[in-house]
Amino acid sequence: MKAVLDGINRPWIGAVLWLAGLAVPLALDQTWMFIASLFAVYAIVALSQDIVLGRAGMFDMGHAVYFGVGAYATAILNTQFNWPILATWPVAVLLAALAGAVLSAPIVKLRGDYLLVVTIGLNAIFVLALNNNLARMTGGPDGIFGIGVPSIFGWQLASASAQFWLDWVAFAATLVLIHNLDRSHLGRTLYYIKHDQLAATTMGIDIRAYKVLAFALSAALAGFAGTLFAALMAAVSPGAFVFTESVTLFAIVLVGGQGSIPGVLLGTALMFVVPQAFRQFAEYRYFVFGIAMVVVMVLRPQGIWPRRRSAGAKA
Amino acid sequence: MSAALLELDDVGIRFGGLQAVANLSFAVGANQIVGLIGPNGAGKTTAFNLITGVYKPNAGRITFDGTDITGWAPHRIARAGIFRTFQTIRLFNGQSVLVNVLAGLHLQTRQTWWQGLLRTPAQRREEERLRQTAMDLLARLQLDQLADTDVASLPYGVQRRVELARALVARPKLLILDEPAAGLNDHESAALNETILAVRDEGISVLLVEHDMNVVMNVTDHIVCINFGRKIAEGSPEHIRSHPDVIEAYLGKDDEDFLPPAIGSAA
Amino acid sequence: MLGTIVQQFVNGLTVGGIYALIALGYTMVYGVLRLINFAHGDLCIFGAYVGLVVLGSGAGSGHAQLLWLGAAFLVAAVVVAAAGVVLELTAYRPLRRADRLSAVVSALGASLFIENGIMLIWGPQLRVFPSNLLPSMHWTALGARIDLVQVLIIAGSAVLMAVLYWFVHHTRYGTAMRATASDQDAARLMGINVNRVIISVFLIGPAIGAIGGLFIGLYYRQVYFTMGWNYGLSAFIAAIIGGIGNIPGAMLGGVLLGLFNAFAAGFISSSWQEAITFALLIGILLVRPTGLLGERVAEKV
Repeated sequence: MKAVLDGINRPWIGAVLWLAGLAVPLALDQTWMFIASLFAVYAIVALSQDIVLGRAGMFDMGHAVYFGVGAYATAILNTQFNWPILATWPVAVLLAALAGAVLSAPIVKLRGDYLLVVTIGLNAIFVLALNNNLARMTGGPDGIFGIGVPSIFGWQLASASAQFWLDWVAFAATLVLIHNLDRSHLGRTLYYIKHDQLAATTMGIDIRAYKVLAFALSAALAGFAGTLFAALMAAVSPGAFVFTESVTLFAIVLVGGQGSIPGVLLGTALMFVVPQAFRQFAEYRYFVFGIAMVVVMVLRPQGIWPRRRSAGAKA
Repeated sequence: MSAALLELDDVGIRFGGLQAVANLSFAVGANQIVGLIGPNGAGKTTAFNLITGVYKPNAGRITFDGTDITGWAPHRIARAGIFRTFQTIRLFNGQSVLVNVLAGLHLQTRQTWWQGLLRTPAQRREEERLRQTAMDLLARLQLDQLADTDVASLPYGVQRRVELARALVARPKLLILDEPAAGLNDHESAALNETILAVRDEGISVLLVEHDMNVVMNVTDHIVCINFGRKIAEGSPEHIRSHPDVIEAYLGKDDEDFLPPAIGSAA
Repeated sequence: MLGTIVQQFVNGLTVGGIYALIALGYTMVYGVLRLINFAHGDLCIFGAYVGLVVLGSGAGSGHAQLLWLGAAFLVAAVVVAAAGVVLELTAYRPLRRADRLSAVVSALGASLFIENGIMLIWGPQLRVFPSNLLPSMHWTALGARIDLVQVLIIAGSAVLMAVLYWFVHHTRYGTAMRATASDQDAARLMGINVNRVIISVFLIGPAIGAIGGLFIGLYYRQVYFTMGWNYGLSAFIAAIIGGIGNIPGAMLGGVLLGLFNAFAAGFISSSWQEAITFALLIGILLVRPTGLLGERVAEKV
């Protein structure tokens, strides 16, 4: 099994699959296009969770916050200040990155379990703030509706296919970014930190600085996805960023395979796409997730599609 | 007499009720190989952890290359030029020899995080330069054939060489080795001796903890002996070998393996 | 004014007692396994549902009613204790040697499973407890009203805590438990059957927690399936405040949190109250992570 998974030359297969995906609007109906767009957006968030958890080894179980910061930034700027969607994108990313840096700075020193609990608390406070219509801008429990459609140089991406292609291209950009990360100095450094902090620190690695950087980067990427999410759904509400979402993201990385791009994508497909396909069994969704999480961890604790060894540099 | 590169001045540390190290003073000069010996539990690794910043001393001062580094964080001390190996090997298992050694090049990397994410041409060149630097060092230690091998699958002696390579590639001013000969056979120990001497010849000072007296006596210029966290003797290998306090420290334990060559079998 | 304060105090002690009973389960499991048993809160509420089933089948009033109540507590404690052991054997024991994170995900999965299992069996709407379970006696003192149910809960929690404290500190089994929490390997070398200790932790913690859950049902006269998560989180925060792994700490933390919530509710809007509780948690973790009474968990350096 491992040989098969390792043997597939993944970047090329990935590129081919991505290209095939471009044909989705031509081959599938509106519903499936929406599901595919949703998959692309959630895949970006899941990959961002993988940076902080799978690669840097930090137990962030409140990652939905940064997704939400990006989504709400776009929602507010667009509906209340009439900014075009694409103009809100950089702001969303920067705000999310800032949130990631500021929130993580005081807590990265904490031991794993404590960091986990603190991030749960941060997520809870974030959702409570949204629900309480913070600064009268977040729209309370109903959220914000009527988010516009992205347009590029005046060209409105109004159709579902146009939205899908936008999301699919953003997805490709993310894949390239993560692939590059794995082959870069930063990627290696995060690996060293995750696996042996003491040894890493004696090599001159400033653990704290890198941990905050990892948090900020993963938050930025989640915020990036947040804008796409707001545009896709045309609405945002606190319910999309609650603790259960963070748990799902966390589980995707662990169940799919930490630090493994195909693993995380598989996890995203299983936890976001499959339930969409089985809408009639919606109330069983988390029940099934629960069982799946226990079973996968017990039978295959390294995840379904673990990271290929020795990603990082070749002699 | 060259100015001391590393100097410990009356250094001490307590852990709760235990005074692990007290009034410890010694120095390592430029181009010098100093050995730190003593029975098990004497505080040798603690001393290393104090020097490399893993622990912060409660008392005393540590000076390196003219700068007071007392209480500095480990990564700052590394940046000052002190690199180490560990008593229990701390390699990054699951990664190749090359990637492990690249960790030692962390401080010499001229590559920002965003260059890495975007994979700019500058970053690609830099990656190649790093790879080449690492491979050159691996070749010198006869490890280049194993560059892509997972360190976890390597024999113990080879893992020790990889850990040494990782510290060496950082071009340290002071190399600290914690029991580098532990678990090595005679052939490997002899190769280690040669490597340490070669390192010194390149201008790197070495401070090592070692129980293997063949290594200690043949390689060091100066030996410091500690017991119960305090220095009990210091001097040249010949001086230490017949020093009464040293002999008593070792004879006081039941472990005859640790008898210095003067008392035990042939050196 | 005095009346309000005393009232909040009584309310706080009541809820605090419940938090303490639930917090004990978290702290005991963390002590021996270094694992946050995310499923614990759900097990406790499961106890409330089990108790409801027993009470629902009981009819009539008067003396028989009190017997049914007793039976409800007993059955709830036993069923949930059994569930706790099943949980340990299926979701945690196989991962004893695996990466910590895997156990965390397994715990979360178990929590989702139990919580949604409850929803699937009993429905998502809230379930009401029968109203005539206890004689509706109350007392007034210092301008505050104390109901019989509150007395029952406060007294019941206090008794259970005292018994547990005695058990942990004055019996051999308790010592074995503390030894295992301190250093599992050493305990094993001393001849302690670590697996049996862990099983007993998963019997006692959930059993006590189930009684806490049933108290919730009796006090608020209703239960719904997400309560396990809500109360579980609060109880967990209480355990951390007191010092995770520390049994008296969990008791203290529970009571303090209950009092804090009661007094805060009187003076701050409830929607921000939760946020403040979390902020308090974060503050404590940053400033004094070992909690008020200190952590009794060996640090794996």
